[in-house]
Order: sequence, then C-alpha cells, then structure tokens
Amino acid sequence: MKFFDILRTANHNLFRNKVRTMLTVIAIFVGSFTIILNVAINTGVNSFIDEQTASLGGDNFIMLMPSGSSEMASSMVASSEPVEFVEKKTGETEVGAFSDEDIEKLKQIDGIDADSFYSPAPLSGTGYYASDKTDKKYEIQNLMILPPGNFKIPLAAGELVDQNEEAKKKNQVVLAPGYREALGYETDEDIIGQTITIGIKNEILDKWTAIDVEVVGVEASGIVSSSMGTLISHAVYDALADAVYEGYPSEYRDNQPNYYIMATYDTNRFSEDEIKQAIADAGYEAWTVSDMMGMIRTFFDAIMIVFTIFGSIALLAAAIGIINTLLMSVEERTREIGLDKALGMSSGRVFTEFAVEAISLGFWGSAFGVVVAMFIGTLANSAVHAPGGFLAELPTFNLFEFTASNIIPFMIIIMFIAFLAGTIPAWKAAHKNPIDALRYE
Amino acid sequence: MEQPVIEVKNLVKVYGKRSTAFTALKKINLEIQKGESVAVIGKSGSGKSTLMHLLALLDRPTEGNVIVDGIDSTKLKTKQLNTLRNDDFGFVFQQFFMNPQDTVLENVTLPLKIAGKRRKERRELAMKALRTVGLADRAKFKANDLSGGQKQRVCIARAIVNNPKILFADEPTGNLDSTTGEKVIKLLFGLQKKGVTLIIVTHDEDLAKMCDRQVRISDGKVTEDSASQSKTSTKKPKKSTTKTKTAKNQTAKGEN
Ligand SMILES: Nc1ncnc2c1ncn2[C@@H]1O[C@H](COP(=O)(O)OP(=O)(O)OP(=O)(O)O)[C@@H](O)[C@H]1O
Ligand SMILES: [Mg+2]
Repeated sequence: MKFFDILRTANHNLFRNKVRTMLTVIAIFVGSFTIILNVAINTGVNSFIDEQTASLGGDNFIMLMPSGSSEMASSMVASSEPVEFVEKKTGETEVGAFSDEDIEKLKQIDGIDADSFYSPAPLSGTGYYASDKTDKKYEIQNLMILPPGNFKIPLAAGELVDQNEEAKKKNQVVLAPGYREALGYETDEDIIGQTITIGIKNEILDKWTAIDVEVVGVEASGIVSSSMGTLISHAVYDALADAVYEGYPSEYRDNQPNYYIMATYDTNRFSEDEIKQAIADAGYEAWTVSDMMGMIRTFFDAIMIVFTIFGSIALLAAAIGIINTLLMSVEERTREIGLDKALGMSSGRVFTEFAVEAISLGFWGSAFGVVVAMFIGTLANSAVHAPGGFLAELPTFNLFEFTASNIIPFMIIIMFIAFLAGTIPAWKAAHKNPIDALRYE
Repeated sequence: MEQPVIEVKNLVKVYGKRSTAFTALKKINLEIQKGESVAVIGKSGSGKSTLMHLLALLDRPTEGNVIVDGIDSTKLKTKQLNTLRNDDFGFVFQQFFMNPQDTVLENVTLPLKIAGKRRKERRELAMKALRTVGLADRAKFKANDLSGGQKQRVCIARAIVNNPKILFADEPTGNLDSTTGEKVIKLLFGLQKKGVTLIIVTHDEDLAKMCDRQVRISDGKVTEDSASQSKTSTKKPKKSTTKTKTAKNQTAKGEN
C-alpha cells in the first residue's frame, strides 16, 4: 500500500513537468538504444559463433595435422565455391599424412582424449555430382560420414543424415552450401528428397561408377561448415569405397592415410595455447576452435567496444541529465518537501520518492530504447538477409538478437544507473530541515 | 500535579551565524498543561511563530529543551519524532503551506497518506474534516483556486484530520471575516472540550481572551503569562526548578 503510494507520487511528480521529464527520458533513450543494439549484436554474433562452434563439436574440439599443413586447413575454412568438373588424367597430389606411429605419438600427448580420435577418411578420389536439372557436372568435395558425437551442423533445409542402423543402409547425403543452385534447383527446399548422382572413378581400372543418392538436407552457409564437405550415409560411403578401391589390395583400403584427425582435449586442464604448444613440441600442428573463430570474434569485438564506448558516453550524459532534472525538481518542490517533513514524513521516504522517480526515468528511457531497438533490429535483420543483403549467404546468422536474458539485465542496469544519479538530489531533498524548506520562496 | 504535555526550559533560538546572528527567543520557560488553551500574543516579529515551531518540534532550539509528555525531545529518535508530529500534533501554518497544484482533498489527506492509512479511510476522514470547516463541496477544487479564507479553513481541516492531541494554530483566524472566524473559533474550542490542547498564536484580542491562558511575547521573551503556576522569564532561571510553584499574577514587566 505504502509502496504503491510512493510509486504513484513519483510518477505523478514526473508528469508535472512533462517537457523536462520527456527530455530526460530521451537522453536516457539515446544511451540505452545505442547500448541495447550493441548488446543485441553481441548476442547475435555470439550465438552464431556458438552455433558454428557446436558444428565443430564444441569448445574442446581440436584438429590435429601433420606439420606444415595449416595451408590445407585454411582452405577448408574458407568456403570453396563449386568448381566445374573437368576430367583429369593425373592423380591427386599427396599431402602429408599421419603414419600409425604419428597417431600413437599424438595419443600419448597429455590432455588429448585418445578415445576421441576420429579421422573422417574422406573419399578423395576423382568424382563429380550431377543432376537431371543440368548438363554440367561438379567436382566432389570431401565426402564424409557425420562424425559420431555432439556435432550440430546448421541446416538451411531438410535434416541430417540419419545415424541409426536402419538409416545407415539408405543412400542419403547432406549437400554443402552452394551445390543446390549449381545442380539446378531454385530453393533449398526444392532439392530435399530429390535424387542426384555421385560419380566416382577407380584409378586402377579406369572405371566410372555412378551412385544415385537422395538429398536429405542442405547445410546452411556458415563460417566453418564447408569443412564438413558433403555428409554421406554409411551406405553411400560403402558403395563409393567399393567402387574406388575395386582391384586394390585389401590392406590399401584399410590403411587409408589420415590427413587430419579430429579429437577433443581436456579444457579444464589446458588452455588452447598450452595444448597447441604440447602438440607443436611433439612435432605436429593443431587448430583449435579459436583459430577458426578468432578472427571473426576479434572483428566483432572491436566494433562492439566502439559502440559500447559511444553508448556509455551517451548514458553518462543521460545520468547527468537525471541529476539535473531531479535537482531542479527538488528545488521547485522545496516547500512541498518541507510540508511533508513537517507533517511527519521520514527522510527515508522522501529519499525513496526521489529515488523511485529516478528509477522511473531510467525505466521509461530504457524501455523506449529497447522497443525502438527491437523494431530497428528486426528490420535490419530482414534487410541483411534479403537477397543481396550482406548476410544473405548466412541464413542462420541473426545480426541482432533480442532475448529476455539480454534485455532484462540491461534494463535493470540502466535503472540502477538512474538510481545512482538520483541519489544526489534525493539525498539533498531528504536532508532538508522542514521549517527552512517551508520558508523557501 | 499533573505532568505538563509540553514544557520548555531556557529555550533560546538564534537565527543565522556570526555577523548575521539574530536571537529570536531568549531563554523562554513555559509549561503547558493537558487540555489547556493557550493564546500566544505579541507584536509582529516578537518570536511567536518561532516559539510555536519549536514547541511543535519542527525546528531545533539553539539552547534549552522541549519536553513532551515528560520526554526530552532531543532524546527522541527521528522516527518517534515523525510519528509524534504525524499522529499527535496538528498544525495550522501562518502562511498556509498547501500544495497549490493538488486538490483540496489531496491537501487534507496528506497527513494520513504520510501515516500510511488506506485510501478509503483517508478519503472518509478528510471529507469529515472538510465538512467540519464547511468546505466539503470544494473537495475537488485545486487548492490554488480557493479564496484566502477558504485556504485557511482547508489548513484547519488538514490540521484536525488526524484527530491530534495538540493543535498548533498560527493565526487561524487571520484571514477570516467575523462570521467565519467565529465558526472557526467555535470549532477550535469544540476540540478543546474533547480534550485537545490548543496553542494558538493570534493578534485577535477577542480570541486571545477566550483562551484559558494568555502568554505575551515581546522581543523573544515571555513578558506576561496569565497562568499563576507558570514561571516567566522575569525569574532568574534556576536549575531543575520544575517543582517550584511561584504564585504570580499577570505581572507585566518591561525589560529585564
Ligand atoms: N529563518 C530565519 N532567519 C533569520 N531570521 C528569522 C528567521 N525566521 C524568523 N526570523 C526572525 O525572527 C524574528 C521572529 O520571527 P517570527 O516569525 O517568530 O515572528 P512572529 O512573532 O511570528 O511575527 P508575525 O506576527 O509577523 O508572524 C523576526 O525578527 C524574524 O525576522
Ligand atoms: Mg508569525
């Protein structure tokens, strides 16, 4: 009851001088608008990066490579455009591969989980994709089975290749971004459920085998998703491997070179730098999640720091505005305060009334800031994802992301700043001597 | 002997500091009994309002003590002081002191709002007080839109809305015509019959005569006190002389 009275009184007093209140609210609005947009970008970028990190298997992911193969790895990070297939006579160039000894040595490194070792064994023979919709053929990318574990690959359409035993027998693929259009389909949805052909060459027998596969999903463009290449079901892998290795000695098929190994390490005991150092000491190279994400994060962090500084300056100005507004209000209402105190109002309550006024100013300013920011952010999100927009290629990347968990704490912080600004005038009001205040003209 | 509701000892009030210092009250001693009506009279600037503010614990004396119901006011906690003013005291200020932008009703309910009473109860009590002063029909008016006399009556309504034990009234009839003035006087003495102690600052000799006791102030000193049991500043101040009874009859003395 009493609290309600205080709230009513505070808002009533704010309404008395509408213009001044509004100007103060606008000042807070400008600051909070800038910062909330920034917070929303921060959330948007981070959730996108987290999504991308999850597609790598999480923060503890590490990619192990023979020394000197970073160049190869970096080519996997940059999204490669579909390359038109032209039949070549020469075999592929051999990149450094891990020997069995190398793998044993890597497994001995402290902190790396030996059980997590997974080498995707890409089928890197000569091959192509083809569809009924186009005469052109396109060179195959990495063809790999989805690694077991916690991989969340963002999809633009469809589903991931099923992992259960029954589904492993179906010929299913998830295409890497870009191929849908190359293969002649209008939208990502159009190609789902369609059958395309994967052709692969057996180098010894100089024989081509074509396998029909169903497209069950299309990967969303991301920053790292291209490293996944085309995801294939076990059935497709087996069929392709049978074709590629026909005529080879069976040991050859079983001892395919490992060009890189995906593994996890103990993040509790080792920092990224420490584990990389340990691996370098053993004579290998490693890429961590930060290596893949670092550049992007650094870029956005820099932008966000700049915006936060702007927003903070604006908020500082707003806080001074609050102090000024309320000081004027204290001055104007000196006699009223004197009367309240003469009639037995406690200093604490006078303080509270002014503090609540300040908090109300903070509330309205930040609430308007949030509403307008959400409106503009939503417009901007659809603008950057529209065809030709700068994020059109990254459909899962929401530039501005507004969530209760970024808005509510933000508003509380603004109201707290407003409260802090309000304490100066509130203190001044609370400590007036009733009679002196009443005599004030 | 009954304990006085308010007792002041060697009360001194100095306004300002150093070169601008002005002693408005010079060693005032006074005892006010429960249920008494006391008129404080004196020339303009003699210190009547100053004394009333000190008696009502609105201001702190420079020296001396104000003892309410046997308790030294300096010993009271701020919270007790606030409660005392809010529950037991009623004030009519010389300059009204209303919130001009609020309605008459809001002005009258203010003490109850501060007391934390419920809205419904606040309204009922305030309307009752307004009826008593004959202004129930003006409840919704802006306080600013009232005539001087009406404002004064609103202030009286505000002062009595909390059923005070002691009513302090600084010139309660100052702005009223004789008919309205009489009504207000009737109202005040009606309250006294119910046991309310009245402390009235006035220029109105008639009103002063109607009171049980007249205390004349001049130049910050009590120069005349109609009450026989009361000490005046004409006596040399003694230490702890509460029990001393000096029979003294309306001795008007000049300077001392
Ligand atoms: N805040 C103050 N600062 C300085 N001097 C003051 C202050 N308040 C009152 N005084 C002085 O104290 C003296 C007594 O003032 P007070 O208001 O008590 O007079 P009063 O007897 O009520 O007069 P009136 O009948 O005109 O209301 C006056 O001379 C006045 O100038
Ligand atoms: Mg006066």
